[in-house]
Amino acid sequence: MSEENWIEVGSTDSIEEEDLIRFDHQDKTFCVYRLTDGFYATDGICTHEEVHLEDGLVMDDEIECPMHQGIFNIKSGKALSPPACVDLKTYPVKVDNDKIFIKID
Amino acid sequence: MKNNIIILGGGQAAIYAAIEIRKNDTESNIKILGEESILPYERPPLSKDFLLDKKHEEDLFFHSSDVLINENIDFDNVSINKVDFENKKLFTKNDNVYSYDILLISTGSENKKLCLDDNLNNDFYYLRNLEEAKIIKEIVLNKNQITIIGGGFIGLEIASSLSQLQKKVTVIEIGNQLMGRIIPKQIADLVQNTHIEHGNEIILNKQIDKIIKKNDIYEILLNDNSLIETDFVIAGIGSTPSIKLFENTNLKLDNGIVTNQFCETSIKDVYAAGDVSNFYHPLYERNMRLESYQHAQNHGICAGKNISGVKTEYTSIPWMWSDQFNLNLQLTGICDDYEEIIERGSEINNGVIYFFLKNKKIRGACGLGILGKVGRDIRITTKLIEKNTIVDRQILSDQNQKLNKLIPKL
Ligand SMILES: Cc1cc2nc3c(=O)[nH]c(=O)nc-3n(C[C@H](O)[C@H](O)[C@H](O)COP(=O)(O)OP(=O)(O)OC[C@H]3O[C@@H](n4cnc5c(N)ncnc54)[C@H](O)[C@@H]3O)c2cc1C
Ligand code: FES
Repeated sequence: MSEENWIEVGSTDSIEEEDLIRFDHQDKTFCVYRLTDGFYATDGICTHEEVHLEDGLVMDDEIECPMHQGIFNIKSGKALSPPACVDLKTYPVKVDNDKIFIKID
Repeated sequence: MKNNIIILGGGQAAIYAAIEIRKNDTESNIKILGEESILPYERPPLSKDFLLDKKHEEDLFFHSSDVLINENIDFDNVSINKVDFENKKLFTKNDNVYSYDILLISTGSENKKLCLDDNLNNDFYYLRNLEEAKIIKEIVLNKNQITIIGGGFIGLEIASSLSQLQKKVTVIEIGNQLMGRIIPKQIADLVQNTHIEHGNEIILNKQIDKIIKKNDIYEILLNDNSLIETDFVIAGIGSTPSIKLFENTNLKLDNGIVTNQFCETSIKDVYAAGDVSNFYHPLYERNMRLESYQHAQNHGICAGKNISGVKTEYTSIPWMWSDQFNLNLQLTGICDDYEEIIERGSEINNGVIYFFLKNKKIRGACGLGILGKVGRDIRITTKLIEKNTIVDRQILSDQNQKLNKLIPKL
C-alpha cells in the first residue's frame, strides 16, 4: 500500500455525527461520513443520475440520495432501494492525529 | 396452502407484489399477465433520460428474466378483456381462460385522449409506455416546432427533454398555472420561468378551439383567436385509472378501484395496488389515488404481504418527484388540506419549500431546487408527517436552521 494514495480530507471535527461532507480531489467528488462507529467514504455522485450525495440524508449506516431517494449502504456501497440499482464505490478511511484520510486508487 | 395467484397488469406494482409474495410463500403459483410485450420496467425515464438518449431500453427493467425464473414467477404477455369475479376467471380476446384463487389488479392508468376532431385522432401522440416513447423519440428527429397540450408533469418533462434536443417547444395549458392547483403558484412560476429561459413558450389560460391539418403542418386555433403553427402535437392532459374492464362488474369503483388499508377490494380474494387503486390512508383518514413511482413500489409490496398472509396496513406517506431541466420538484404528504402555508427559502439554487400545516402539524410539502437541493428537507418533512409532530414554525421558515432539529428525540 503506497503512502501517497492517502489523501487528507480534513479534521475529524469537521463532520458532525450521522452526517457527511463532500470532498473534491482532482476531478473527482467523494463523500466522507461520520457514523457512530467511525468514518467512511464513498463516491460523491449517485449511481442513478449525476447528482451529488452531499445533499442526501444519512440515516444509521445508509445514505439516501436527495433526488429520487435511492438508498446505499455507506459501509459496503450496496444499492438498497430503487431507483438506485448500481452499487456505490467505497474507499478506505483512516484517522491520524484527528485528521481524516481516504485512500483513493 | 398452494394458491393460484394472478397479477393482472404487468407494471411496477405487479413486479414488487410478485417478489414480495414469493418471499413469504414458496409454494403458490404466481403469474403476471401483462399486455406490454416486455417485462415490467420503470416509466419515469420515458419522458426524460430515454428521450434524451441517456437511458436505453435495457436500463429500464426492474428485474431480468433470470430473476423471474429464479423466483418462479411467470409472465404471460396477454391482454385480458373480460373478468368473471364470481367464478374467479379472466379471459383474453381469444377466450383463453386464466383461473385464480387470489387476484391482484395492477392495471395502472391510461392517458386521457383529446377530443377535437375524430379525423385527427391518429395525428396526436401520447406518452405512457415504452412503445410510445420510442415512436416519439424517432419522429421528433425530423420535427422542429413541437406543441405540447397540457402543462402537467409529464407534458413539462417532455417539453424540457425536447428543448434539450434543440426543438422549439410550445406548451398550451388551459389552467392559470402549470402543474395544477396542487402545486403552490410560486413554485409553478419558478418552473415556468426556467422553461422560458430555455426558450420554451408557455401559454396559460387558453383553450384549443380547433386544430386544422395543412399538409404536414397543424394550425392550432386558440380561444383568443391566436394561431400556433406546429409540426408535431403531443398531448399530456392527464390520466384516468385503467378500470374499463371492471365497469359492469360488482367491483366497487370510484376514481379507481376502491381498496382499504390492506389493499383489499370490495370482492373477497381480489386486491388492487398502484395507480389503479383509490386506497384508504389511515393517517389522513381518507381515500386517495396516487400516480407515483414510490407509491407503485410500496403499495405493490404491501399488497404482496397481505396476499401472502402477512397482514400489513399501508401507511406510506405519499411522495413523488418531477425532473425538468436541472430542476427537481418533490411533493410529500398531501397539499390540499391545510390551514396555513409556511415558506422556507426563496431561491432555487438553495431550494424553496412550501409547507402545508393543519393543527400545527405538517400535512404536506412541495419543494423545488436545483438537482437534489430540497431532497433532504423533504425527506425529513416526511418523517415529521409520519410522526405527527407539532412543529416550530420559526425553524421551518429559516433555511439556516436544520430541519432535523424538529424530529422528536426518543
Ligand atoms: C412518462 C411517465 C413519467 C413518469 N415520471 C414519474 C416521475 O418522475 N416520478 C414519479 O414519482 N412517478 C412518475 N411516473 C408515474 C409512475 O411511473 C407510475 O405511477 C407507475 O408506473 C405506476 O405503476 P403501476 O404498476 O400502478 O402501473 P403501470 O406501471 O402503468 O403498469 C400497468 C400495466 O398494466 C398493463 N395493463 C393494463 N390493463 C391490462 C389488461 N387488461 N391486460 C393486461 N395488461 C394490462 C398496462 O399495459 C401496464 O403495462 C411517470 C409515469 C409516466 C407514464
Ligand atoms: S439520482 Fe440518486 S436516486 Fe436518482
